[in-house]
Order: sequence, then C-alpha cells, then structure tokens
Amino acid sequence: MSTVANDPIRAYIVSEFLAGEDAEDLTDDFDLIESTVVNSLGLVRLISWISETYSIPVDDIPLEPAAYRTLADIRGFVGRAAPAAV
Amino acid sequence: MPSPRLLQAFTRHVQEKPDSTALVFAGRRVTYADLDRLTHLAAADLDGAGFGSVRALCVPAHKSPETVALLLAAWRQGINTLVPSPGLGTAALSTLTAQAHGPLSAVAVPGGGAVLSREETDPTLADGFSAPDPEESLLTLTTSGSTGVPKLVPVRTEAFDRFGDWATEKFGIDGTTSSLSFSPLNFDLALLDVWTVLEAGGTVVLADAGASGDAGYLRDLTQSNEVTLVQGVPLLHRLLAADDARYPTVRTVVFTGEAVSEQGLRDAFAACPAARFHNVFGCTETNDSFVQDIDPDAYVHPLPIGAPIDGTDAVLLIEGPDGTEVLRGPGTGELLVHTPFQTCGYLEQARNAHAFMPDPRGGGAMFYRTGDLVHRDADGRYFLQGRTDFQVKVRGVRTNTLEVETVLGAHPDVVEAAVVALPCPEAGTRLHAEVVRRDGTSLSSLGLRAYAAKHLPRHAVPSSVGLACTPLPKTATGKPDRNSIKKTQLNGDV
Repeated sequence: MSTVANDPIRAYIVSEFLAGEDAEDLTDDFDLIESTVVNSLGLVRLISWISETYSIPVDDIPLEPAAYRTLADIRGFVGRAAPAAV
Repeated sequence: MPSPRLLQAFTRHVQEKPDSTALVFAGRRVTYADLDRLTHLAAADLDGAGFGSVRALCVPAHKSPETVALLLAAWRQGINTLVPSPGLGTAALSTLTAQAHGPLSAVAVPGGGAVLSREETDPTLADGFSAPDPEESLLTLTTSGSTGVPKLVPVRTEAFDRFGDWATEKFGIDGTTSSLSFSPLNFDLALLDVWTVLEAGGTVVLADAGASGDAGYLRDLTQSNEVTLVQGVPLLHRLLAADDARYPTVRTVVFTGEAVSEQGLRDAFAACPAARFHNVFGCTETNDSFVQDIDPDAYVHPLPIGAPIDGTDAVLLIEGPDGTEVLRGPGTGELLVHTPFQTCGYLEQARNAHAFMPDPRGGGAMFYRTGDLVHRDADGRYFLQGRTDFQVKVRGVRTNTLEVETVLGAHPDVVEAAVVALPCPEAGTRLHAEVVRRDGTSLSSLGLRAYAAKHLPRHAVPSSVGLACTPLPKTATGKPDRNSIKKTQLNGDV
C-alpha cells in the first residue's frame, strides 16, 4: 500500500473526508462512493481539487461518480489526463 | 397534479400550444407535443405488455421526460403509481412493491416507451396493507423512514386538486412559469415544481440528480432557462447564490424542508433581486400546512413557520395535570394539523392509529401528529422548536437518529452507538456517530461506514464516525448523553 508521503490523492481524501478517523484500512479498492465517504457535495470538492492540483480543465473531468469510486480509479484517471503529474 | 384535471389541462396545452416547452432535460427541450408523443409511446407499452387490466404500478423515479410521460400515461389509464426513489436497494424496492399490492414495475426507456416487469414477491408482505384505490388516488408517495422500507402515503386526487388551486394562486403559477425541479421526482416537492407547473402550461427544468451538488451546473441551468420559480431546501438556495450569482428572472423563491440560516436568507435576497420569498412548512402526509411570506426589508430570524394555510387547522398538544390537553393561547406543544391536502392515511393500517387522531377538541376531522415541537406566540405566529422524538432533517430528508443508532448497534463488533446531528456549512445538518467497539475486534471507522452504507439510505449514513474504547458518557437515567457528545464535537474537543 502507498504511504501518505508519496500519495497526495490518498492524503487529500484522508484529510478532507476522514479527518480525525483511523484510515489505515483505506485500501486502493475501498469504495468511496458506496460507503458515502464521498457524497455528491464531496464529489464536487474532489473534482475541483483534482482540476486545480493537476491542472486538468474541469470540462475534461467526467462528473459521474463511477469515475471516482476508489483511490485506484482516481489515480488512473489523473494518470491518463495528466501523465506528467503522477 | 396527478388527477383527471391535470390530464385534461395537459391535453388542452398539447392542442393549444404544442410548440411550447414543457420540459428541459440534459440540454434538450421537450415541447408539449413531444411530451404527448412520449406519453402515447408509454401508453402503448402499458397496453401491449399483456398483463391485462392494471390497477397499481411501481415506477421508480428516474428523473427524465420519459418517466414524466410514463406517469402521465399510467394516470390516463386510471392506474395508481407508486413512485419510489430509484436509489432504493432492490430488496427494499421489492418489499415496497409487494406492500402496495402491485406486482408490476415499469421503467421508462430513453427515447420513449416503457419496460414492464412482474416481481415475484411474497404475497404475505401485503398483509395489513390497504390496496391503493385508483378511484381515490393516482399517486402513492413514500416518506423516508430513515431505515429499512419507507412508508407508503397515497395522495388523494381531490386533495391534489385543492393543493394545485392554492399553490397556483399563492405562487402566481401560469403558462409563463419556468420552474427549477431540483428535488427528486419521488419527493412531495414535485407536486408543486413539476405537476402544478405542467397543469398550468408552464415549463419544468429538470435538474440532473447526479449533478445536484454542483453550483456551476445549477447556475447555468437556472440562468440559461430563465427560471422564474425556485423551490427547495436551503442547500439549493445556497448553491444558487454561490459566487455572487444573480437571477433577475426569478419571481418566486420558496424555502422548504429545513430552517434557513440568516446568511442564507440574505444571500438569496441578493441573488434574486426581483423575487418574492416564502417559507413553507409541511410533510408528505399533509403536504404544506404553514406558509410565511418573507419581506427582505422586514423579516425576523429565526423565521416563523408562519400561519396555517387557508383551510388548515392547527392544534398544540401539551401534557397537563390530567394528561394530554389542548393548549389555548401562547405556549409550546406538539403540533397537530389537519390540511385540505392531506392523505387518507398510510397504506399500512397499523401505523395510522399512532399518526392520526380525531380533532382533540371534538369533531370528526382527522389530525396528523407531526411530532414537531412548536411555539405559538401572542400574535398567533408559530415557530418550530424541534422534535418530540429523535427526528432531524439531513439534506431535507427526515431522519431518525435513534433508528440510525439501532442499525449501527446491530453490528456484531459494536457495544454501543450514539448518533447526533451537527450543523454543517454545506448540507445544513450532518450526522456524527460515536461508537464503542468490542474489545479485541478490528472494527475500523471505514468498516463501520461501509456497513452503515449497506443498511441505511445514503442520507442516514453518518458523515463522520468516532471510535471509542471507553463507554459513552451517560445521563442520570443511564442513556447515552447525546448532548454531551454533541458539545464535545461542536467544541472541536475530539
């Protein structure tokens, strides 16, 4: 599993949505949407963070929750949309 | 309104103004003629499905012109439609369908038409439930029981027509109205912002359920469609007012669902400079019961819930020395209402004895026990003080924190759980759970969230979880001291 230090996406999810909670078992395949860790308002915050952090135009970011179901999904999307960043 | 009168009005609009826009959805304009065509496609599928004469049909409320058309088609055939949230789990959905005595479900197909299916359900699930009577009601709504299966609330056709009459006059709805439909189609709010507007020949702008938290999307949708009527929970008004957006075309703003903050009010005044503002108060069982007009230059905050709507009778019940009695004059008590718009009762007969009672002053009118604790001042204005039970509103949805506690407490690794409602800048109210884990187990807060998400509707899943190893603080009577837990959370003393 990645550590927080070299995994800014995981670090963001933990600080923004799991502040003060034990996040040790936040694995790459944990379903963030189904578990409601990220709800529809949270999704908008997440997308805007991705857009700013990785300089991806918001219009290029899909709005459907399925694209952000897990840490692996988010990392995969960012890797495709901004290959230099990851 | 789901009533023959709505259908007649719709037919008239199709003949007289076929090219007017009835619905806007996903950038697509659907004229009254288009909607009529979709309605005929749905009707053909209802006829051709080979299920014979249908009296009740479950139509999950996927928000689309095709679903609107499917509902119109079903009503035209005299079918009572049960319209549950499309987000319900399949198990809950099939239980609901069985309870409503309707083994048939229909899902609208993009482009028009419907696919019907017959559910294999356990017929004993309908024991104790009345069958919906299409002669009396064409629409059965659900109210959010915060856990498990929602309650079934048939809406009487004549009650609907009365609501339409009232709302049309109160909010100035006519053929030039363009309403933003923000809430899901299964919410009672759709009675105003979808069905009353269509009956008046106006335009309904259907906001995509998936983008409901997106301020930019809602702003574009509202501005580009020159929306004139906006109804919704404070969250909607806050999203619209973000980034100092302005809506010069909005004529009517209706707050509903939960209390609006003073900042939220001021932002809405600024965002809609040409609008009249109203706060409505009600529930699915009675529809709107109180209304308060808000003057931006002279309002009080917290807002009163207002005065009873014409035809509504309100009573406050208090505990007196000789048991329950009716409060005369100013004071605080449990609100009971009788409205011209109310249901004839839940389909589940056993629920009605607790929820409805005859006028406590005598007389035959049935009153609904709201469970709301309400204060009446010397001027006869009513203010909401809270609940007589453990109900809170999360994103406009009634949620019982005690029931959420019960679900969390059922996890095998949980010793005890307490759930409190905390103020939230985005959603108004959010739930926090404080949970004591059994010694030696590996239950994590993520594990508990995943468990909660499986057993609760989304709005009822706590948005934060604190795991403790020591017992929860207790009151003198040995119950979890929820006030103390709440204070600890509010003071950031985690």
